[in-house]
Order: sequence, then C-alpha cells, then structure tokens
Amino acid sequence: MTNETPIITVENLYFTYNGEPALANVSFRVEENEFLAIIGPNGGGKSTLVKLILGLLEPDRGIIRVHGKPPSKMAHCFGYVPQDVNINIDFPITVLDVVLMGRLRQGGRFSMSRKDRHKALDVMETLGVREFAERKIKDLSAGQRERVFIARALAANPEILILDEPTASVDTEGKTELYHLLRELNETKTVIVVSHDLMIVSSYVKSVACVNQTVHYHPNNEITGAMIEMGYQCPVELIAHGQPHRILKTHEDL
Amino acid sequence: MIEALQFEFMRNALAAALLASLLCGIIGSFVVVNRLVFLAGGIAHAAYGGIGIAFFFGIPYMYGTIGVALTAAVLMTAVAIKAKNRSDTFIGVLWAVGMATGVILLDFTPGYHTDLMSYLFGSILAVPRADIAWMSVLGAATLVLTVFFYRDILAISYDAEFARLRGVPVNKVYFLFIVLVAVSIVFIIRVAGLILVIALLTIPPYIAEKYARSLMAMMILAVILAVVFNLTGLWLSYNHDLTSGATIILVAAAGFFLSFLLDFVLFALRKNHSHKTHAPPEKG
Repeated sequence: MTNETPIITVENLYFTYNGEPALANVSFRVEENEFLAIIGPNGGGKSTLVKLILGLLEPDRGIIRVHGKPPSKMAHCFGYVPQDVNINIDFPITVLDVVLMGRLRQGGRFSMSRKDRHKALDVMETLGVREFAERKIKDLSAGQRERVFIARALAANPEILILDEPTASVDTEGKTELYHLLRELNETKTVIVVSHDLMIVSSYVKSVACVNQTVHYHPNNEITGAMIEMGYQCPVELIAHGQPHRILKTHEDL
Repeated sequence: MIEALQFEFMRNALAAALLASLLCGIIGSFVVVNRLVFLAGGIAHAAYGGIGIAFFFGIPYMYGTIGVALTAAVLMTAVAIKAKNRSDTFIGVLWAVGMATGVILLDFTPGYHTDLMSYLFGSILAVPRADIAWMSVLGAATLVLTVFFYRDILAISYDAEFARLRGVPVNKVYFLFIVLVAVSIVFIIRVAGLILVIALLTIPPYIAEKYARSLMAMMILAVILAVVFNLTGLWLSYNHDLTSGATIILVAAAGFFLSFLLDFVLFALRKNHSHKTHAPPEKG
C-alpha cells in the first residue's frame, strides 16, 4: 500500500436497534486498497456496521464519510454482496438478469444497453458463471449463486467491494477459491469482508476489525499480544499469517 | 359464443373480461412476486367500506371505493415498510374494519342498495360502457408504467436493498405500483366481484411463475392464462346459465390443479429420463 488515503472514515458512531444499543462509540478508518475483515460474534453488529457504511441505515450519532461525503451520496462507489444469496429463490429471473441488476442506473432506462450486457457477461466470465447466463437463478448451486451475486456487485465497477459472510454456504475448497478471487480483486479495489472463517481470513486479509458493539481495529492480520487481550472483548478465534495455523483462544464472557 | 356477441351486454362482458385479464396478469404478477396477496385481499375487502360510505353520504359509488381502497393500500404498505413483523395483523384488522363499516353504514342507509352477493361475485354481464372506458385507460396506464419502470420493478421485487443501493427510488416506485394495485382491484371488483379478483390476481401469476424465465414472461403468460380462464368461464356460464363470476373462479381453479398435475408428470418424466441417461452430477 503506497497510497494511504482513507477511503472510509467512521467517527464516534452510535446506532440503536429496537431500543438496544447495537453499536457504540465506533471509530476507525479504511484506507484505499485495504483488504479488511470484519469479524465478531453473531449479533455483535457486523451486518449493521456494513449497512451503515453502505448508507442503507442512518446512524443515531456520529459520522461516516466515504471520500469525505455521506455514504448515501456515494452509493455508486460500492459493490455489495448481501448475506443471503438465496432470497427470492423461486423468482422468475435468469442469472444474466440478476447480474444486469448491477448495471441499474448506469445506462438506458427502458432496456439494458449492449454495453451493459457486455460488461455483465465480462464479469460473469471472470467469475466463471458465464455459461449459466440463461439459466434460472434457482437452478444453480449455492456456491455458483454466490459468484453470481459477486458478479452483480462488480458489474458497476465499484471502488469498494463489500461482502457479508460470502462463504456461509460454500464448502472449504470453495472458500479458498473465493478468497483467492477476492485477493485478485483487491489489486484494484478496496475489499471489506464480513466473515466467520477466521482461519482463512487471517491468511488473506491485510487488516481486521473486531466488532462487538464497539469496533477494535487492527491494521494488520497478525496476532499480537494486544490482540489476544482483545479476545476478552471480542471472540478472537484468530490466527497467524500464511499457513493454516490455528490457535483457538477461548473467549471469556464479559 | 359468436352468436352471443350480437348482444351488447355480451360484447361488454367480453371487453371487461379481456381488460380484467390484462390488469390481473400484470398487477397480479407484481402482487405474487412481492408476496402481497394478503395485502391485496385486505384492500379488496376494506374497499367494501367505501360502498357503505358512498351510499350513506350519497356520493358516487366509485369515489367511495377508490378513496377507501387507496387509503387502505397506503396505510397497509406504510406499516409493512415500517414494521414488517406485525404488518399482517394490521392488514387483517383493516380488512375486517373496512368490511364491517361498509355493512353498518348500509344498515343506516334507507332504501334499496346493492346486495353483498353482487359485490362478492360481481356481475360481468351487467358492466356499463363507462366502466369499460375507465378500465381501458387504467389498462393503458398500467402497460406504460410497467414498461417504463420494468427494470426498477424487477430489481425492487427481487432485492429491494440492492435496488436502493443502485440509486432506484424504491419507496416511490413501490407506492406507485401499490396505487395501481388498489385502483385495479376496485375496477375488477366492480365487474367481477371480490372473490374473483383475488382468484384472478393470484392463480394465473402463480402458474406462470413456475414456467417463466423472467418477470416479463411471467406477466405475459399470466395475462394469456387469465384470458383463457375468463373466456372459458364466460362461455360456460352463458351456455349453461351459471353465475359468471363463480364459473370463472372454478375454471381458474381447475387450471391451478391441472398445472400441479403437469408439474408432477414433468417431474416423473425428467426423473425417468435422467435415470436412463445417467446424467453426470452437477458441479458444485
């Protein structure tokens, strides 16, 4: 990383969900070309944090800036892969039409232009799902569907790619492949991934944010003494660099 | 059937059936893919309150029903957006309150008034020409808006959150289509009755969804199915002197079960086929 401009800035962020504090006093920065993993327990606020960054939710207090502007104005910067890729699975829609959704508001109003189709098929090629273009979305496996959703997110050529638990329905081999792909994409894009697969995360990402109501940001992916301390505040099941080398640290309740 | 067309009421009935099919196919597909069947039922029943209001205050029937249907539709949708988990309860309450209000207001109105039966089953054989003109306008508006907003509607129906992120004004487009749903329901009830509107809004799109590869194809197939059900029902009711609304519903229901049978047969054939050819398992 030669160019360390913050692309996302979060300052003193507070968010309540149904009267319960979901996130409190969150501050961190994401640099350009970062590969950030967001980890933490279920219900710790990972998805909420992602939706706040995307501008899909409004914070109660605090500031989020994307290139210095509020996220709602910067939606075009984001490619988003939601957690549930099986929503509306019976919907009558082809794989190509799902990916074309990523081209909305990029070109023509009535139909997608040839350029949109071209771009969509291009990303599908990259993700190895081009051959399924005319199939119905429900005829794909979960892993293939995941790739289709990543293609949809990439179709608008976003600067920042955000994935919410992309490997939830993918087998181990698929997970490794997926992270390989994300690493390639990271050469040109900032990548933020919410994940449970701490083992895999630690060998691919550049930085880690532990989310459990508040956020502890670690500018690298290695375990430090301080980070193990952190384990008391967020369940660090984390681990070393490189090889699949796993240290399980029991998490004490607060 | 052809010789029946010498009567004006038959020509009107035919036109009403075709226009109702167009509305049901398009609006019904929107209702089915967005899982708004209960909401559509709620609008249709609550609109009965509008009849009571219209008779009680002596205002034109259409103002009452459209007014109440739109109010109910907007309230129900607002609640569905704000408090997803409890919206079905709210819709159920409005559904019942609307209907009860209609009944009580009619009790308070002296003189003769339309009985409940014609509201429930409609009277497609007694559709006035003015209604046909209005339905043509509504049908044209629905077609134009659907084509214009097709990509937005598709994205909103499939994944509203993603649509929002791509800059689609999700709530505005959604409310616009809810308004179309409400107005369509009122017109279709007028010609075909409350029960038929629910049947026609749901059965053709439901069958179409299984075979269509896109929302557009689903809408077109649903319109065709609705035309088939309506005309078959109309023909049977004319030939055998049956209540038209109920006949159309039973024809649609027969289509519904036939499609299940067809699925079953197709499934069995495919299974048999893949046994013979030993198709390689799909790559994960």
